Amino acid sequence: MPETETVDIDRLVVRRKDVDFPLHDIRLKDASDDELLALSKRMGIGLSLDEMKDARKYFEEKKRDPTDVEMEALGQAWSEHCCYKSSKPALTEHIFGIHEEAIACREDAGLIEFDADHYYAVKLESHNHPSAIEPYGGAATGIGGVLRDVVCMGAQPIALVDPLFFGPLELEQKDLPAGTKHPRYLMQGVVSGIRDYGNRVGIPTVAGGITFHRGYTTNCLVNVGCVGIMKKEHIQHSRAKAAGDVYIYLGGRTGRDGIHGVTFASAELTEGSEEGSRSAVQLGDPITKEPVIHACLEAVEKGFLQGMKDFGGGGLSCVAGELAWDAGLGAEVQLDDIPLKEPGLAPWEIWVSESQERMMWVVKPEDVETALQVCRKWDVEAVVCGKVIDEPVLRVYYQEKKVLEFDLRFSTGGPVYNRPIKTDTEPLVWESYETPADLKDILLRLLADPNIASKEWAIHQYDHIVRANTCLWPLQGVQGKEGPGDATVLKPVADRWKGLAVTADINPYYTERDPYWGALAAVDEATRNLAAVGARISSIADCLNFGNPEKPERLGDLYGSVRALGDGARALGVPFSSGNVSLYNESHIASVPPTPSLMTVGIVEDVRNCATTDLKEPGNLIYVVGRTNREFGGSALQRLLGFHGGQVPRTDLEVLKRSAETVVQSVEKRLVQSCHDISDGGLGVAVAEMAIGGDIGATVDVRDIGLGGNLETGGDLRVDQRLFAESNTRWLIEVDIGDKEAVEGLFRTSKVPLTLVGKTGGPDVVFADDGKEVFRLPVAAVRDTWKHAIGRLLGDAHSGGAAQ
Amino acid sequence: MKRDEMRVGVCIIEGSNSEDETAAAFRSLGTNAEVVHLKQLLHQDVPQDEERTLDDYDVFVIGGGFSGGDYIRAGAIFANRIRSSLFDDLKGFVKSGKPVLGVCNGFQVLVELGMLPDLDSQGLSERPEAVLHLNDSDRYECRPTRLKHVNRGTSKITAHIPLGEVRIVPSAHGEGRLLLHPSDPDKTVKTLADNDQIVFTYTDENGNDEVPYPYNPNGAPGGIAGITNRDGNVLGMMPHPERSFWRWQHPDWTRTGGLKKNGPEPGDGHAIFEGVVRYAEKAL
Repeated sequence: MPETETVDIDRLVVRRKDVDFPLHDIRLKDASDDELLALSKRMGIGLSLDEMKDARKYFEEKKRDPTDVEMEALGQAWSEHCCYKSSKPALTEHIFGIHEEAIACREDAGLIEFDADHYYAVKLESHNHPSAIEPYGGAATGIGGVLRDVVCMGAQPIALVDPLFFGPLELEQKDLPAGTKHPRYLMQGVVSGIRDYGNRVGIPTVAGGITFHRGYTTNCLVNVGCVGIMKKEHIQHSRAKAAGDVYIYLGGRTGRDGIHGVTFASAELTEGSEEGSRSAVQLGDPITKEPVIHACLEAVEKGFLQGMKDFGGGGLSCVAGELAWDAGLGAEVQLDDIPLKEPGLAPWEIWVSESQERMMWVVKPEDVETALQVCRKWDVEAVVCGKVIDEPVLRVYYQEKKVLEFDLRFSTGGPVYNRPIKTDTEPLVWESYETPADLKDILLRLLADPNIASKEWAIHQYDHIVRANTCLWPLQGVQGKEGPGDATVLKPVADRWKGLAVTADINPYYTERDPYWGALAAVDEATRNLAAVGARISSIADCLNFGNPEKPERLGDLYGSVRALGDGARALGVPFSSGNVSLYNESHIASVPPTPSLMTVGIVEDVRNCATTDLKEPGNLIYVVGRTNREFGGSALQRLLGFHGGQVPRTDLEVLKRSAETVVQSVEKRLVQSCHDISDGGLGVAVAEMAIGGDIGATVDVRDIGLGGNLETGGDLRVDQRLFAESNTRWLIEVDIGDKEAVEGLFRTSKVPLTLVGKTGGPDVVFADDGKEVFRLPVAAVRDTWKHAIGRLLGDAHSGGAAQ
Repeated sequence: MKRDEMRVGVCIIEGSNSEDETAAAFRSLGTNAEVVHLKQLLHQDVPQDEERTLDDYDVFVIGGGFSGGDYIRAGAIFANRIRSSLFDDLKGFVKSGKPVLGVCNGFQVLVELGMLPDLDSQGLSERPEAVLHLNDSDRYECRPTRLKHVNRGTSKITAHIPLGEVRIVPSAHGEGRLLLHPSDPDKTVKTLADNDQIVFTYTDENGNDEVPYPYNPNGAPGGIAGITNRDGNVLGMMPHPERSFWRWQHPDWTRTGGLKKNGPEPGDGHAIFEGVVRYAEKAL
């Protein structure tokens, strides 16, 4: 790090003379407070003064100095990334324990019942900091990490999901802060990384999303999720079973890449991060990973594993300790045989390296040969590297010297902080703007907003159909003219019709204005997207991306969002399958907007009943489900027109629950021909998107929606407000005239608002108010704008000239 | 040969994928299909009960993926591993008239092996005669594609599919532009057309020829999507028939009549596997 140190700490780091490899004693007992902090910084282990003092106390009791291996291990174990020291209080208060009975197991990934014989596995986590420094490698290794998490539960990965967040693509080079990479470069790098890794390991990338916001310019966010499927009897635990069991290290070699990844993930990025942090980004290798998955699943099938854990943050240090500690046991580890990428790594480097594609198996001594045989078949390198012992101690040896000895309760305990919190909600100010003169132009500009426009530039680069389980594709409609899908549906078990629907949701323009209602809007949108295809929400995975928790207002944002997620899950009766916290997404310029990104899984009882978003036939009826209110806080229209104020769309959870169930029932009964949720850009954009995929026009009259929807006055909404308000818990459905009575009856009985607004047909999308035409646009023009907006911003030759 | 006696081997190395669904497709047609790692055929590092030879199979299949990572020309690593160890065996297999199917990466491997187009009917050749070059868009393309059957009789595997019939078979590849003569795309088309070696071309919902991107996802001259060898027992194609084997996998089934409530309905890719099996039933 280029900072000047005011204290001389060299005297505190003493090279051991009794060994001929690099090993140092750290003289904590002689150090002043300043020196303790300087040591932590110099070693790059990210420990605070209090934590350094805790370490000193421990070693004083042991009457010896710690080695560098031990201090590095503590830095890993106590990082925010590994022990959630800042976020734990908020999570304990609002998220932990909700419908926990639905979780069969939650270790590296969460397992939830799919049917009587199967679990599905879910994991969602962030790979933000590495991707900001090295977008291609950072994103690729993020996928590697979640795949391992799912595999080590004993599950076959079946889907990858990637919610991505970047600064505006149209940002001028001159407005780019020093040390920051352009959002276009970052997005292209990240998408290429996901493509080249995900496609190569043969797991489909089926959902995700790309969100653009100024707040991500200096800190892009890369969240990666994975869903797996497994037979119930194949469940594997991330812990040892008995003393005497053997550790087998397999997969990729250990190198200097990925050193200090977790401590790096737990600090703010600075202008100098580029130079200082490159070694923290791991290198991915899908062609090592792919056989590792095969080997692990074969081992699961053969049934000889006692435990299995993947190498994630903290590397060998975390894996070796946690496998034993979670079983109330200890372990002895030999570093000598660990396969290395290059010779000459110091023991501390081997111990904390986060190199990719590595797994640890725990097997009985008599099964070692069988285990090694499986690895040989798949050309996967494997070595025996330690054993489980009957005392809660971790010992590490290198060249027959003990280089680390910890009581496991000390090193895996980890501190928890109750940091100060500030939650300021600003008083509501109603937005005020004149009705725009040209609503047709407004709709086109909304469709060209990169947050709304088609993400097909990325989607077509991801293989979303490998494994041949994809039943509803991410883009839906007429070939070459597809519109957006609400959720992708997989049929994961060969002889059953049950399906899994997957969606990823968060709108940071809402959360930055109101972390609570914004996060609840994400729960609402996820529930809507699932219901639209005919799926009932089953579980939520959350990845909480926030700024520096040492700043009270940032931690206040986290609290607000987490409280909303808890309220939402409780009301909907679903558990959190997997959670991840990524803090310090903040640079010297700005923090990211609060981004509690959600990956939500729903269950489809019979995929043969699923609905898609594309309009099907001319002459069908179009209905709006739900109420339209004056809700423009954080809306796409607000971004476009630049007005201030407005209420962030709110959710009545009871209404959401009832409405989603009714929509699912109407899909299951095959009463709807198409269904699409109303979100960014409101009714106007949603109608356009359904017309795009179906290649059929529609006429929609807004007279009967938004009545009494002006939350300030109780009056009716203006036409532009009816078209573009972003109120939650709304869908559009297309209904055959023959099903009119049945549909209206179903919604009436369920007490869910349903308004007939128009008919499908014709070459244009037409909006009217009480019979009077407001504007019309040809479907082809609407499609061209929506489909090619992002490609045009990227200057992509294969976008813009293609199918109309 | 009866179906239930037919043995299908879906061969993989590291980085292969799609093997499970490909084997499942053959199994659902009543054959005995299994996934076989090349190392099982070479008797390397595998227990004795997992060792296999090519003679154990009546049908040889290479499916999709990124074999060996495809870090050099797609399919080249897998092809060279086969060439260095199984060249004569595989040549014998092809010349005996047993069917070979290569899909996507498998097609790329067959081209690298010289098994396709195999203009001189050698079975396999020392050097490839063609290449599956980078897509025109210079990136990976995963999207629905429609194929028209254009073969007039050479292709024994697709003999039961009517000439001109259009089927939805999705594409997912980065290197799919077939070229025999890199500087002369027209010659590629002419050579293969003269030999009646073209089996499938990309088309649109109206059955048009020479369709533009994205209907032709890679820019292959003449919209060539799949070809056969001169003897008609080897089929290589870029699109994935195992991904439209059932109708529920089709990208647009919700707008083309939905799905019936009885057992799974076959999809458009079904006929290609059925063709392989029918040919083997007759020929072997």
